[in-house]
Amino acid sequence: MIGSLFETMRPLFEWVDAMPSSVSLRESLNGYVYLLTAHVVSMGLVAGVIAYWDMRLTGVALRWIPVSKVKSGLFPWLYAGVIINAGTGFVMLYSQPMRYYPNFWFWFKMGMLLILALNAAYFHQNIEKTVDQWERDPVAPLKARMAGYVSLALWAGVIVTGRMTAYSGLVPQWWIDLGLG
Amino acid sequence: MLQPFFQWMGELGFSAYFLNSVWPTPILQCIHLLAVAVFAGAVLVVDLRLLGRGLTWASIPDLARAAQPWLVWSFVVLVLTGIPQMTSTALKQYYSPFFWWKMEALFVGVVVTFVIRRIITSKEEGHFGPVWPKVVGVTSIALWTSVTIGARLIGLLS
Repeated sequence: MIGSLFETMRPLFEWVDAMPSSVSLRESLNGYVYLLTAHVVSMGLVAGVIAYWDMRLTGVALRWIPVSKVKSGLFPWLYAGVIINAGTGFVMLYSQPMRYYPNFWFWFKMGMLLILALNAAYFHQNIEKTVDQWERDPVAPLKARMAGYVSLALWAGVIVTGRMTAYSGLVPQWWIDLGLG
Repeated sequence: MLQPFFQWMGELGFSAYFLNSVWPTPILQCIHLLAVAVFAGAVLVVDLRLLGRGLTWASIPDLARAAQPWLVWSFVVLVLTGIPQMTSTALKQYYSPFFWWKMEALFVGVVVTFVIRRIITSKEEGHFGPVWPKVVGVTSIALWTSVTIGARLIGLLS
């Protein structure tokens, strides 16, 4: 079932792979170097800022600063980092789609980013609505702490799987058996 | 001058173990990158505050004190996980201009962050005037960005 799902997506990746702009980026001498370097530097900004936000939610750090102040102080930097990080990530994918298509770690990372987005949306839609009641508490309510721990774990996972994308051969046997590469 | 020393490091059994094993190096790289994230956060929250941005609700000394353990311990992890990566490819590092770029920026970064910035952040805002904290904040961000760029380019262009 997983194999057929990926086979359904293959034509899209092959279509992008053949686009002149994708080929041009792929064949650029230093394009990938600049993109990956900017991706890693912006990762430091995104992960560093989000770690402090999550550590405030979990009560691990910055416990004396109101939650809303942490958010208003850090989130503009987070958004700037996300724009650069996601932008460079997207262009890397666009320039080498058939490199990432069969990569286990790439899809693992995308799955975790999806869960992170859902976790953030759930926090925003539900838990954050009552933030006025607990934002000065050194330890946030259980639901907020759980959202923070989930986010911390998933961001750590995103960093690990992002690094492991370079090791496309170190993957489970069942993934190799899908024969995507 | 240092070439024999790097050759000696590369020939250590410890280096050969990391070079020839499958999983230890990727695991070290992942831990190294996680420590980069923690270190970047600890550096940034204080540097941004020195620039009058970020967590302006908190005082500079309070924020610096809160970030200090994360800064120190993530740096310890960075060094511990960085050494085997360096020794296992010692001669590659020696001949890479980006390795030396990284080391120079790292040395100055350590002095700026752990010595000069520590002095600046030990006093309340205004003690050193409006300019010096900003100079230190910008310098610190620039140096650690430079370290990250140099590190990434060792792998990509060496």
